[in-house]
Amino acid sequence: MQYRPDAAELLDAVASLLEADVITSVPPHLQHQVRVAANLCRILERETQLAGTNDDAERVRLSLLLALIGNRDDTNGDDTNGDDRDVRSLRADLVARLDDPAPLDAVVERSVREALLDTLRADLTIAKPGYAAPTGAP
Amino acid sequence: MSDVADPHDALCTWLRAQWQLDPGEHLHVELVGESTAGARRRNLVLEIAGGPRPGRYVATVLPTADIAIVGMADEATVRMVAREHGVPVPEVIGVCTDESVLGGQFFISEFIGGETIPRRLLRLVHEQGIGAKIVGQLGESFARLHAIDPAHAPAAISAPPDPVGGALDAVHTVIDNLLQPEPAFSYALRWLREHRPTEPEQRRIVHADVRTGNIIVDHSGLRSILDWETAKVGDPMEDLAWVCTRMWRFGEDHLTVGGLGTVDTLRDAYVAAGGAWDDHRYHWWRVLVTMRWGTGLAGQAAMHLDGRFSSVVMAASGRRVAEMAYDALMLIDAR
Repeated sequence: MQYRPDAAELLDAVASLLEADVITSVPPHLQHQVRVAANLCRILERETQLAGTNDDAERVRLSLLLALIGNRDDTNGDDTNGDDRDVRSLRADLVARLDDPAPLDAVVERSVREALLDTLRADLTIAKPGYAAPTGAP
Repeated sequence: MSDVADPHDALCTWLRAQWQLDPGEHLHVELVGESTAGARRRNLVLEIAGGPRPGRYVATVLPTADIAIVGMADEATVRMVAREHGVPVPEVIGVCTDESVLGGQFFISEFIGGETIPRRLLRLVHEQGIGAKIVGQLGESFARLHAIDPAHAPAAISAPPDPVGGALDAVHTVIDNLLQPEPAFSYALRWLREHRPTEPEQRRIVHADVRTGNIIVDHSGLRSILDWETAKVGDPMEDLAWVCTRMWRFGEDHLTVGGLGTVDTLRDAYVAAGGAWDDHRYHWWRVLVTMRWGTGLAGQAAMHLDGRFSSVVMAASGRRVAEMAYDALMLIDAR
């Protein structure tokens, strides 16, 4: 285990340097890139704190969703036991089902949308806090 | 990007030939600045003294021909046609396809004063209370553009794929090639297919990139619509959807049309000026263009990662994909 500062604290230090000192010292054509770099440090700072919880929640959400789809589609496969699979492969399964033009029943359809929105809201707490606030009309 | 060479000599020679000036006639061209509008193309602000058209102009220079979306000459034609039909577009006074003059094809258009930078533009608009006026002017401009007989469009943009089917195919191809599975896009694509409208009865010249950031505004209202390089013959409702995309509101989310005003104002002005508004198509295009921009951001991240365009800005685009996916899914329920 590394000694403090931890990753989030170090990223905060780098972001502060970029925001406070570097941006005012670079030529104008680099300022936008420095601003973006600082923002990326802020994103990563949040990611180190939130990504583990978010990914666990997405894994559970996708497993439940794929189980629901499996039941509704009345397939016999054992691919619904997704607890130990990673998010990426669960996502790939959901994509495969969504790419299949066979109709989804209304309950599944609604569940998919709600699950995807829950995941996106969680992703946005890292990438852009406040973006998914109720006042933000799409 | 390196500084452009003093354009005086080459440009003077070219303008003299264009205007058929006698050798003794005075003509002086001075580079007085570079406009910040436009990311890929350079906009050189010129002061021309002498000749038949003295005054301030902008030379829009495409650095290399291979990144042209629409050729400069074709774009100039679209601009001129739109202007003749009452759309506010800076007048084009010359087109040059000889890349040796300014290091790339260019056209010269009149300089229009005003604000283009989005946050400054929105501050000006809201200080002056002219947001609804500008949205009305945009609606009227779209109606005039979409009333033009597409036979006036240059051949290069006149035979695109079917607007609806082509747009669907394009996003499908991108989704199939994402770097990681994104079920939100698959869900949105599924919805787009299930709610697909018919191809438009009337295909028209569309600008396809009118938004806060591509318009010039001053205290009197809308002065000009810029950046016609994406023009094509397509579905008019694509234009009306794109201008309403959330990212062009720059935080003013309650004002759907570019942070300027409401969709009702846009629709009323469009219809009053003869445009045929279609709610279903509008909504479908809102979802499509939102998702398409999300896939575009994913593409920028890929270009950074595979080295085609390494840049921290392109890399950061990957962390913006969720914004577009979220907006697309929220739009799907917003009816």
